[in-house]
Amino acid sequence: MLDSYFPILILAGIAIVLALLLMTLSRILGPYRPNKHKLNPYESGMDPVGEARERYSISFYLVAMEFIVFDLEVVFIYPWAVRYLDLGLGTFISMMVFITILLIGLLYTLKKGTLDWDLKTNKI
Amino acid sequence: MDYLGDLQAFLPGIITAVAGLAVITIEALKSGHKSAYWVTSFSLIVALFFGIQSLGTPLQEAFSGMLVHGGIAAFGNVIILLGTLFCVFLSNDYLEGIDHNYNEVYGMILFATSGMICLAGANDLISLFLGLETMSICLYVMAGLIKNEKQGAEGALKYFLLGAFSTGFLLYGAALLYGATGTTSIPGIGAAASSDLLFLAGAALLLIGFLFKVSAVPFHMWTPDVYQATPTTLTAYMATASKAATFMAMILVLSRALPSVEGLDWQAVLSVVAIITMIFGNIIALVQDNIKRMLAYSSIAHAGYALVGLSAATPEGYSAVAFYLFAYTIMNVGAFGVVAYYERNKGLDFSDVNNLAGLGFKKPMMGVMMSLFLFSLAGIPPFVGFVGKYYVFAAAINANMVPLAIVGVLASAASVYYYLRVMVYLYFREAHKETEMIDASFLYKGALVILALLTVYYGIEPILPFGGLMELITGF
Amino acid sequence: MNPAILEIGPLAIPVWAIVLGVGMISYLNSAAILVYAERRIAAFIQNRVGPNRVGPFGLLQPLADVLKLLLKEDVTPTHGYKKLHAIAPMIPVITALLSVAVIPFGAGLYVTDINAAVLYLLAVASLGVYGVTLAGWASNSKYSLLGGLRAAAQMISYELPMGMAVASVILMTGSLSLVDIAESQSMWWNFFVNPLGAVIFIICAFAESNRTPFDLVEAEQELVGGFHTEYSSMKFGMFFLAEYMHVFIGSILITTFFFGSYHLPFADLYIPADMNIWLKGILDVSVFTLKVCFWCFVFIWVRWTIPRFKYNQVMKLGWARLLPLSIINFMVIATIMYFTN
Repeated sequence: MLDSYFPILILAGIAIVLALLLMTLSRILGPYRPNKHKLNPYESGMDPVGEARERYSISFYLVAMEFIVFDLEVVFIYPWAVRYLDLGLGTFISMMVFITILLIGLLYTLKKGTLDWDLKTNKI
Repeated sequence: MDYLGDLQAFLPGIITAVAGLAVITIEALKSGHKSAYWVTSFSLIVALFFGIQSLGTPLQEAFSGMLVHGGIAAFGNVIILLGTLFCVFLSNDYLEGIDHNYNEVYGMILFATSGMICLAGANDLISLFLGLETMSICLYVMAGLIKNEKQGAEGALKYFLLGAFSTGFLLYGAALLYGATGTTSIPGIGAAASSDLLFLAGAALLLIGFLFKVSAVPFHMWTPDVYQATPTTLTAYMATASKAATFMAMILVLSRALPSVEGLDWQAVLSVVAIITMIFGNIIALVQDNIKRMLAYSSIAHAGYALVGLSAATPEGYSAVAFYLFAYTIMNVGAFGVVAYYERNKGLDFSDVNNLAGLGFKKPMMGVMMSLFLFSLAGIPPFVGFVGKYYVFAAAINANMVPLAIVGVLASAASVYYYLRVMVYLYFREAHKETEMIDASFLYKGALVILALLTVYYGIEPILPFGGLMELITGF
Repeated sequence: MNPAILEIGPLAIPVWAIVLGVGMISYLNSAAILVYAERRIAAFIQNRVGPNRVGPFGLLQPLADVLKLLLKEDVTPTHGYKKLHAIAPMIPVITALLSVAVIPFGAGLYVTDINAAVLYLLAVASLGVYGVTLAGWASNSKYSLLGGLRAAAQMISYELPMGMAVASVILMTGSLSLVDIAESQSMWWNFFVNPLGAVIFIICAFAESNRTPFDLVEAEQELVGGFHTEYSSMKFGMFFLAEYMHVFIGSILITTFFFGSYHLPFADLYIPADMNIWLKGILDVSVFTLKVCFWCFVFIWVRWTIPRFKYNQVMKLGWARLLPLSIINFMVIATIMYFTN
């Protein structure tokens, strides 16, 4: 079974070499004349205002958290989905109950506006 | 797979879980709808009915060995559901009073109860962990649900951090036990027990995880802060039902998974922990002014008394612990309930015991019930607290652990001071000023009255001709 | 890996090596061809003539683009994290190339037949999010950071309905291997049996490759360049390359999962089972290429036809509409298939 992953190893090696090649090629072939204005971060031509590490919205964190929960649900569904026709009715109902519980959780999340990006409509 | 048999085994847990989902759905579709509260109470009553129905049956396995039901697990379910039911009855008014009556609280209570029922009937390390985490995470959320108050967030964060840490210990211990024995099933671990280092280390870490959850010294640091920061009726729920569930899990694990092999003398370890828990819990409670902190330390001390029964390691000891948990639940919910009633009145900060001066005469019924619960907590006959302590210390003495019983009795005697101090303030001091006291609703007072009656009844029940709770439990 | 071996006279070349080589070359070329195709088709849609100066019909335009990018200066901002800044463009390219290993281009023409190929593809797609996030973070600029975070949040939000849509395909196939999925569509394409899943997957493929209408993270009016503002020369070229490769891969996945892969519609009815291997191979690869080209054309067509979404609309579509829809679609298909078997 493990030898079916061997081409992937070769492919990964070739891909990494290719990417490194592209990176170094531009460094070799292009000019290198750094000056202060070129090295500043881009802000529509002005000097940057404020720090680069400003605080960003907490909704990103909420999105990531919800992603973990539902991605694990999808991962749990895959093994069952491959062979569900051979398993009994009880297993089928168990899986449907599992999906329903997560669906109710999703409904609650959506209704409470946790994934809304308009912060004015906070319904909690 | 015997699905219908499994469903019947876990029926109280299933009912509470489905009710929790229903509450969350109601809250999602119509925020703040009052019917969520009635769904909660109704489902808890139905679950309690089914729990009581399975009381006399012997201990059997279900879910292909992952859970047990019947016997002592059924009694554990009854304790948990009883505590939850009364907390829910008391919560409605109290949470309305502090403007905090979110339906999510009821959803969390139901999910936590479902987790506790799984925990109290766990027959496998995996289902143990599952129940423990379900319960704990819902409790972390409940601790911090007060918005606009930093205290709640601080308590919740402390609880979460220390709780997650201790769960890590428990899980690592479970992993080591699995590595040592090759099975996660609790009877299987007991059968394959050996005295090699892997097994001992796993058992030690597992014990540490448990001792944290029941707030034994020296793992008790989170208890006062968390109990103080949580809304009081939710503290009652945390302090009683979760401790009951964890103690039940400890009984199931310790009696079957850790037999007395060489080098695994967990009785000695537990007896030392029990001694220092009783001593420290009572000593620190002596100097507390805040009633909620005082009750938190008192619950640490009560965990110590229960650990005495647990370290006796005989069936008599386990039955004594089960009865003690029942006694502890009803008197503690009552005590916290009366404190919650006092807290609801705006004006002074009624969780400071000095501010309770003279209130015994203003609201006589509340004062009487508070005294009842305090006497019971102190272990004074003829209340249920005394009976519980009697059984526990008798079991310890019968197992030749006399020093434990001696320390226990002395600690109980010392604890009378801080319990009765509250009564002194209630009755023997002059009232501060003309503070308006809100009248409690009928349901609230009714719940407290029922608890008080239970306290008195089970205090005198062993000498009544038709008693039998102890015999019921000893069918384990 | 593919056990077949091609024997030409004294040489015995394993087929997987041939498919791997040809596949990689076609992936890299696809980016070049798609650049040219996009500009030409955009021009036709906008009623003008595209690039037609460099070479006949402008066909050497991609070569000119690549040369230009190679010869430009590689400006790395100071105060940034130089190593991360250098690594970040490599990640989308590598993860895009990694997916060539599991795709069947014809009957028996695949590099390797892992029995968890779908999971492998999803894992590789998830790894691609790292590239975007690191790029946004390593350039020491607030616009890049915000663009990178938004792109990452968008990509992970659309991975969920994509996963569920693919799960509904697996219900019907009964295997996680892409070769089996391709084989099972010889009679009925999955699009006919599971149209909702197909639509959801197509929308998610657009979102995963950050194409219009989901391309606000790199649209010029929005955040300048988004996460690739501070990249120049070949590093920008690599992001560019990776984006067009994602268009290509998206088209390939759409045809493999839902549009019959290399099969003609209702192929069981008229394709003889003992057809000459060479003929069948050529037929399969041609059909596959035709379908992929059609879907690439659809990608480009949509870009120049539909305006782009706002960010909160993107998130709402992903979480509030597509995810419940894909879950309910999955449950309905599972129930129907279970009770009719």
